[in-house]
Amino acid sequence: MLQTAGRKGTSTPGKAAPHKRYLEAFRWMLQTRIFEEKLTSLYRGGLITGGVYVGRGQEAVSAACGMFLKKGDVFAPLIRDQAGRAAFGEPLLDVARTYLGSRQGPMRGRDGNIHRGRPRAGQLAMISHLGAMIPVVVGTLLAKRMKGEKDFVGLTTIGEGGMQTGATHEGMNIAAVEGVPFVLVATNNHYAYSTPNDREFVCADLVDRAPAYGYEGRSLDGTDLSECLDVIGGAVERARAGGPPQLVVASTLRLAGHGEHDDASYVAAEIKGEDFARDSLQRAEEFIKEEGLADADTLAQWRADATAQVNEAVSTAQEEAAPDGNEEDWSAISTRTLTDRIS
Amino acid sequence: MPNVPITMPQLGESMAEATIVAVKVQPGDKVAADQEIIEVETDKAVMGVTTPCAGEIVKIEAEVKGVYAVGAVLGYVEASAADAARLVKKSPTPPKGDIAKEIPGREGPESKDAPARNGSHFQVDEEGLPAVPTGSHFQVDQTGLLPVPAATKGAGYLSPRVRARMTELQLTQADLAGIAGSGNAGRVTIKDLETFLGTIEKSQAENASAIRTGVADAMRRSWTRPLATVGLSVCLDPVLEDRKKREAKPGPALYVLRALALALAESPATAARLIGGRAIRSESIDVGVAVEAQDGIMVPVIREADKTSLGDLTSRYAELVDLARRRRLTADMTSGGIASVSNFGTFGLDWGTPIPLPDQTLLLGLGAGRKTPFWDEKTGAFVPRTEAQMTLSFDHRSLDGGGAGRLLQRVVELLGSPEKL
Amino acid sequence: MSVSYLEAIREAQAHLLREDKRVFIYGQDISGNFGGAFKATKGLAAEFPGRVLNTPISEDAMVGTAIGAALEGMRPIVEMQFADFSSIALNQILNNAGTQYWRTNIPCPITVRLPSGGTKGSGPFHSQSMEGIYAHYPGLIVMTPATVEDAYTMLIDAVAIDDPVIYCEHKYLYYHLKADELPKNRLPIGQARVVRPGRDLSIVTYSVMVHEALAAAEELRADGFEVDVVDLRTVKPLDTDTVLASVARTGRLLCVGESFPWGGVTAEVIARVATEGFHLLDAAPARLNAKDTPIPYHPNLWSEHRPNENSIAKKARQILAE
Repeated sequence: MLQTAGRKGTSTPGKAAPHKRYLEAFRWMLQTRIFEEKLTSLYRGGLITGGVYVGRGQEAVSAACGMFLKKGDVFAPLIRDQAGRAAFGEPLLDVARTYLGSRQGPMRGRDGNIHRGRPRAGQLAMISHLGAMIPVVVGTLLAKRMKGEKDFVGLTTIGEGGMQTGATHEGMNIAAVEGVPFVLVATNNHYAYSTPNDREFVCADLVDRAPAYGYEGRSLDGTDLSECLDVIGGAVERARAGGPPQLVVASTLRLAGHGEHDDASYVAAEIKGEDFARDSLQRAEEFIKEEGLADADTLAQWRADATAQVNEAVSTAQEEAAPDGNEEDWSAISTRTLTDRIS
Repeated sequence: MPNVPITMPQLGESMAEATIVAVKVQPGDKVAADQEIIEVETDKAVMGVTTPCAGEIVKIEAEVKGVYAVGAVLGYVEASAADAARLVKKSPTPPKGDIAKEIPGREGPESKDAPARNGSHFQVDEEGLPAVPTGSHFQVDQTGLLPVPAATKGAGYLSPRVRARMTELQLTQADLAGIAGSGNAGRVTIKDLETFLGTIEKSQAENASAIRTGVADAMRRSWTRPLATVGLSVCLDPVLEDRKKREAKPGPALYVLRALALALAESPATAARLIGGRAIRSESIDVGVAVEAQDGIMVPVIREADKTSLGDLTSRYAELVDLARRRRLTADMTSGGIASVSNFGTFGLDWGTPIPLPDQTLLLGLGAGRKTPFWDEKTGAFVPRTEAQMTLSFDHRSLDGGGAGRLLQRVVELLGSPEKL
Repeated sequence: MSVSYLEAIREAQAHLLREDKRVFIYGQDISGNFGGAFKATKGLAAEFPGRVLNTPISEDAMVGTAIGAALEGMRPIVEMQFADFSSIALNQILNNAGTQYWRTNIPCPITVRLPSGGTKGSGPFHSQSMEGIYAHYPGLIVMTPATVEDAYTMLIDAVAIDDPVIYCEHKYLYYHLKADELPKNRLPIGQARVVRPGRDLSIVTYSVMVHEALAAAEELRADGFEVDVVDLRTVKPLDTDTVLASVARTGRLLCVGESFPWGGVTAEVIARVATEGFHLLDAAPARLNAKDTPIPYHPNLWSEHRPNENSIAKKARQILAE
């Protein structure tokens, strides 16, 4: 039995006016798709070690997550958030350097792929343990409030898989207890690695949990860019304005493997015909053409620009030195005088 | 033209270094291939180091009295390109740096806390000595603990700390023989060792010669085995008579050596060495003979003594004694024997228990000849005869008293017909 | 005036809240008039409003929140109600706090207070010593104060350090240990202390076992043995130099800890001495830990489960007899 716990979108593209930042979002999505295709190709050429994890199918949700945050806000992206990271301000070079193991990247070869972050710039570096970033975001917001900062918000993303951990439960609850301006965007892409929804949870929609935690909840069609911008933008705005924590549940299908090592052969054929299985980027481009929001030349130019940016980031990172074990500073703490020396 | 290094050769299995005695060439000298140009002394002998090829000496790095490790560069010969191409890559690489400095734990911050580590030779910090524990703790624990077995941690046990100190001072366990240990079951404690070192520091001392320490090392290694000695009288009159008839005038010890060689040829298993579970036997009856040199003993070996006539044996012996006295014996002249003869009678001694060499099972000792009254059963009267005491020391792991006795009796029997030797 | 180990911890926190606006305390039942399960924060909520915060029973989220606050420049102190419950927060402590600096180059200055160790009648889930687990993972500093003075100065240092600190305070010492006054001087973090000089045996230990070792040392003195007692103070970093110097003086080592016997701090000390100081030893180094079972509830069982003065003295005699 296939359980598709997503709800159909509430807005109808083509009828209502598109979100005023629709084209900007589209460009983040386009850049993300091009970049991730490049990363996949580098991975298959043996030029990336470890893994490549892409957000194909989730670009609209992710872009919306990054676009409404500003300097002073906190974003804790997860595995499929290239679009959101870029929209929040992460340079493409950070991504290329991390994937390609440049010693000049933010992680300097110490961690790879999607674990990158710059905590001082408000972008936290995720750990693989799902739900763990929720209380960390709460802590940053609590600190900002203690320091007297105003007009800030924190957002983190998760999947329907991560929604089932104890850490997520503790984190969601403590955010509400602390009453911090917090947004949790959960994307139900219908597979926790290879496990479908019916072995993940049994409630009709994950957003039903929102009132139980004292959150305001919204669900949306994650393939509809306008709806993503409306709902996620609205949630960020409400949290920033002092509203309760916000839970947004987006419905999509993961249009790739868990990572690029995974062929996703377990994805059921019938699910690919569902509405939430559509490609958000393709939908957005068709919408732009239908509505005449941009002409073919402009679209081609955008694509060319994004390709050039991606290629530049990759070639720059490729020319940079790899880390060297003999030169590495092997201390896990910043207080060097307290580094334990084991012979 | 390229330079070819002249290196310290490996002059014997156990050799690690040697002292330069003389350098016979200087830069600018033309040398032939295999020319002896440097004399070096090991713990066994003085030997010549030869040139690797013909050419001109360009540099001599070796200094007289200096000690150089095997493989160390002693100098360079400017050689032809062909020679250099052939030789340079084959030259042994000298060890890098000071080996002592590479030993872990020899340097580093923790060393400063170790007791008396950096002091002068044998220096002892009297103040820092721990107090001697009172005896009460050696009582059996009433709570049911068994007493500590003395066999595992008793007199023979040296703790890592004591061993480390001994290594530092190049001491062996034999050097500690004079210490009555105050530790559990007579064990030598660090305090005992330091006290002992403090005592000998006050004594007069000089560095022992290379040959002395070489002999000491051989004896110490040999003494790790269970050695036993048996003895028998031998009448030397037939030997002394026979000797008068011979041109070469072999000494009685050479008759004994020859008789021993023939006896061993008859039962070679007697001289077998036991290593692990295997009795190792030599193909060739090579017998050593102890020669006293200045400040020590050398034991040149006579090859195939069972197949060498007494006359040839006598001249070979004379050559070897001469080389030994001049300290010109090479390592291969002193190695590989299966048994040896020690003529301690030359010191006027009747009896002794000499120790076999570490790699041999047997050592036959010969005492001084004495005129002794002998009871002649035929005439029913005492008659004078020249008698000497022979001893056979052996590794009791390989051989028993009976086997050793039969060998010794066979030697006596052979010495009864010296003309056949 | 006298000050207990627990009062020293409370005074250190009061001092920190007073002197450093970045400091706040986060934990279960610590606020209001209650002041914590052991009263380590008694009165602080009233004196420092909004800075001593009660949390839900969410150990994992408590530490996660502290990490976030630390990344934003605060100096949070997390109080675990019992060290045992920090197992629920292991993920945040080990994987998030412990890796943060290494991965991002941004330090993570949180202090997690663990009321540790056994007391009579506390049983399997309120008696544990967790220092070995935290010391095993990279990126954490692990403190185990044994005295009133250290309880005070080391907690102040813990908050000042830019890296995550696991501060293991021993519950048995809370009320049992008293000093005349709060200390005026401090020994730097990372240095062990020789609490009793000796010549015959080194007992290397930490936390509550320092006091058991001192009692055993006094007992052994009657037999003519002078025992060197070393208080590690921090188990990570481990002051190997002071341990080796002690072993160099005595040639014999006994390492004592209240935690379970498999691996852990005592094994680490012995490994280091065997590696770096083998040549200093006159006897095989030995260790004494709790038994390899859960911690029993009944006082008769509990007192035999952990090392104590008698078992330390007995073990010491075995080593001295070698």
